[in-house]
Amino acid sequence: MIKQILVASSVFALSVAVTGCASTAKGVRSSVVTQSVPQEALRSDLPDGGVLAVIRYPAIVESDAKDVYHRAYAKRAIGGQSGKGVTNTIETVAVADAAVVKSNYFALSLYKELAAKLPEHAVLLSPHAIKLGPGGELTSEPMTAAEDLPSVVSIDFATYSFPDSKKMMGGVPLTFGDLVTPLVTVRTDHRASVPTQGLLMASRPLLSRAAAEGRETALETIDALQRGDFDPVVPELDFVSYITNDTPQDVSVQSLATRSDKNAAMVLPVEKVRIPASEMRLLEGASDGTVDPLDDVYTDALSRRIVALINGLDADKAIMMGRAASISDFDPSLAALTFVGSDEDDYAARVAYAERLLDAQRKYLSVQSLRIFDGVHNGELGAQVRDMISAEHDVLEKRRKLARQQNAATIMGIASVAGGIAMGGSAGGTDCRRSRTQAEYNACVRRQQMSGMASSGMVSAGMFAIQEAMAKKRLSQQVGTNFLNSIVPALEQQTTVTVDLLDSNETITAIRYEDLQAKLQDLYSQRQRALDTVATQCAYLEPGGQKRGTWLGVCENGLANGSGAGVLEVGDEVMEYYGYAKNGLADGPGLMIRHAKIGSISYEGSFINGRPDGTVRVSQSGREDKTRNFVSGVDSGASSQEAASPFDGLTGGAGK
Amino acid sequence: MLRASLIISACLAWPALGFAQDAATTDELYGLAEARPVAAQNQDRCIAQMAEFPTDDPTARYQFFQLVSDTAYGATDQTRALFDHYGQPAVEPGTPVLSVIEDIANPVLRQAAPEIIVSSMNYLIDFAATCDVYITGQTDSLIAFDPELKNPEFNTVIAEDALFLRQILSESLSRLGADGDAVWANPARQYSRSLVAQRDAVEFAAFETDIAELETLFMDDLDGRLARSNDVINSEMDREVLGDAIQVSDDMTKAAMERARQERLYRFLRIFGGGR
Repeated sequence: MIKQILVASSVFALSVAVTGCASTAKGVRSSVVTQSVPQEALRSDLPDGGVLAVIRYPAIVESDAKDVYHRAYAKRAIGGQSGKGVTNTIETVAVADAAVVKSNYFALSLYKELAAKLPEHAVLLSPHAIKLGPGGELTSEPMTAAEDLPSVVSIDFATYSFPDSKKMMGGVPLTFGDLVTPLVTVRTDHRASVPTQGLLMASRPLLSRAAAEGRETALETIDALQRGDFDPVVPELDFVSYITNDTPQDVSVQSLATRSDKNAAMVLPVEKVRIPASEMRLLEGASDGTVDPLDDVYTDALSRRIVALINGLDADKAIMMGRAASISDFDPSLAALTFVGSDEDDYAARVAYAERLLDAQRKYLSVQSLRIFDGVHNGELGAQVRDMISAEHDVLEKRRKLARQQNAATIMGIASVAGGIAMGGSAGGTDCRRSRTQAEYNACVRRQQMSGMASSGMVSAGMFAIQEAMAKKRLSQQVGTNFLNSIVPALEQQTTVTVDLLDSNETITAIRYEDLQAKLQDLYSQRQRALDTVATQCAYLEPGGQKRGTWLGVCENGLANGSGAGVLEVGDEVMEYYGYAKNGLADGPGLMIRHAKIGSISYEGSFINGRPDGTVRVSQSGREDKTRNFVSGVDSGASSQEAASPFDGLTGGAGK
Repeated sequence: MLRASLIISACLAWPALGFAQDAATTDELYGLAEARPVAAQNQDRCIAQMAEFPTDDPTARYQFFQLVSDTAYGATDQTRALFDHYGQPAVEPGTPVLSVIEDIANPVLRQAAPEIIVSSMNYLIDFAATCDVYITGQTDSLIAFDPELKNPEFNTVIAEDALFLRQILSESLSRLGADGDAVWANPARQYSRSLVAQRDAVEFAAFETDIAELETLFMDDLDGRLARSNDVINSEMDREVLGDAIQVSDDMTKAAMERARQERLYRFLRIFGGGR
């Protein structure tokens, strides 16, 4: 008996190994993003001189970068190991190209949802071109000027499919038909979230690269400050950073469901979100972009989460460097004063002009984003993508049906073969020689012959079923391969149209934008009077040390003296400071950020002679913010008082 | 008579204006939130003082009422006391406001008799405070008659004229030694500083108008261009390519299904027929 069970289980194992139990690529009907969604409205106004959100996404791959992109995409698979030889197959290329086309389309769903929840002109689109960098490495660059304006948060959005199409029906990530696998990163400027270096939320695979990108961006902006300029650093897309396998960086994390004040980035799992059948039916009959299959199942909830993240940030801190960078383009003597502001009349008058100028630029870029949305989502390209999604859905449904048939055949095969063996074994186990009469012996032999025939028939049926299951699996893969192979020309055309759409937007906008900027600059120059106190560049000092850093702000006798920003390198640490200074040293209300190898820590409160002194709010990774009392830079225990901030009281004025 | 060049220039500028934005109120323009003057108590006096205002041209009439209102705007008890002190002798009650404005704009009087300028301004401010209800009623009626009077650029020009008159007052106080007077120096300086803020506000309003014009021009132009560009690209897009690709895929799948069906039959016969 045991022998028979062992034989049957071996057959079962063999059958499963040969045919596999096919997945029907179900996806999740309810993303974790849609669970316990914060329902809060935006609590702040649109910040002066900036926007609330910019959505970055891969829009095109430049022709000379295609091969490198396809190889990188195949090599750095998310959700499993891609098989051998998938690097440059026509199917892998189709999957990699489709990822860009779909990212283009679905990013607009997020734009639509976020724009509906935020004030007018508060959200910009920033399509990126994936291209080769100066050293031949893969990178991405924005195609428009959207990222020239400071934004409270930036969101990287992409949709993803596993590069090996043979594994499409398994558990791997997929964006095909009614399945969408979004990859998302939400970040702010590192000054508004020092412990996570600006990272607020990220899909798990992108987490460590996004954290590294945040740190690199922070250090690059500090380098720029040391050189005396405010050049904004626009990081490449996190998706590109992931597939090029850039150096990762650790960051404290917490799950989406966690409600804590701990300084940690939120992690999004990689999910195959399934669009409901009702939405797919609407999509198939849609003649324009009014049907958005992703909003109810994902982007509405994600945008609500983003609004909640914005509510939790200090918008002024988030955009202060970007705003100074924008202002420095047309008024360098004002730029560094804007970090903490001033209560002087001449400053207030001048900054009002500068902010109005940035407001004009914001409106202009917002119109551009609206037109990109209109061109892609409501235009022919959107219609084609919707057609493609419908066609993919048909393919996926065929494959699901085949998978179910494959599974049924597998089960039947296992049952039949096992049953046949068991029956045969059971009959064969009877010893007819033990019969007591000839009649008994004859009957026994007849029974054995009949049983042998039945078991042989069941084994044959089982073998047929197993072969049938294998054939269904091959056929299913063939259906997918057929589609991906034949869809390549359409993908190429869609990519071309995307380039045309975005390129024309870029060309028209770039020329007109420069023209607008020049005219705004003229208008600004004509109207300005002198500032009593201007920002310049001078020395910023380490307390008690010999190190000299750079101060951009109010100076006196070659030393920091008034409001501004200072940067300094001390050993392995890089330090930045925003607030008030006296005789080259931090003095007065300020925000000091230390970037050490282990992470970044911020101190916001009172400073005397370059050191924290008085009540100071300390923020570090993985912990809640603490208010401490400092004496000459030494922590002397908890404080019940509120720490001063250089940003909320215009304390002292720029010139003091 | 009414020959103040600043006022004429405003009148000349008017027909060229064509924007339909809401006018900034005086409060908005100056960014001040002080209390408006108290309502008039003496109806006959107000009507008499307004009698010589232009009646044939709604634009000119609006301009005068608004000018009076802007000139008197934000006067505090402290500044009124300052004007009472330096504006002697006071203007005779019942003098038409129009002739008072002419006196303020008169360059000879400005040089020779700054105390008359102060007393004239004091009279104007008193008129604006006493007759505020009537002045506001007049400007509201005129705007109802011709909504174009709310034009921000036009109102900015009036505000600039008012600022010019206030500047004359500030200079006259200075000439009369208010700056160095221990009792009156503080309110005189405050009045002087308020002029800087008001000038900034008026200039910013003008900048705002210019930039709004530029913005409208560029955004409309951009929107039109992008819309046309999208239309051209859409019209050139060949949707048949995708349809063909899907058809090819379907055909290949159907062929594969048929092959699979035949293989199934063959397999069935082979397995159940003992491999023959």
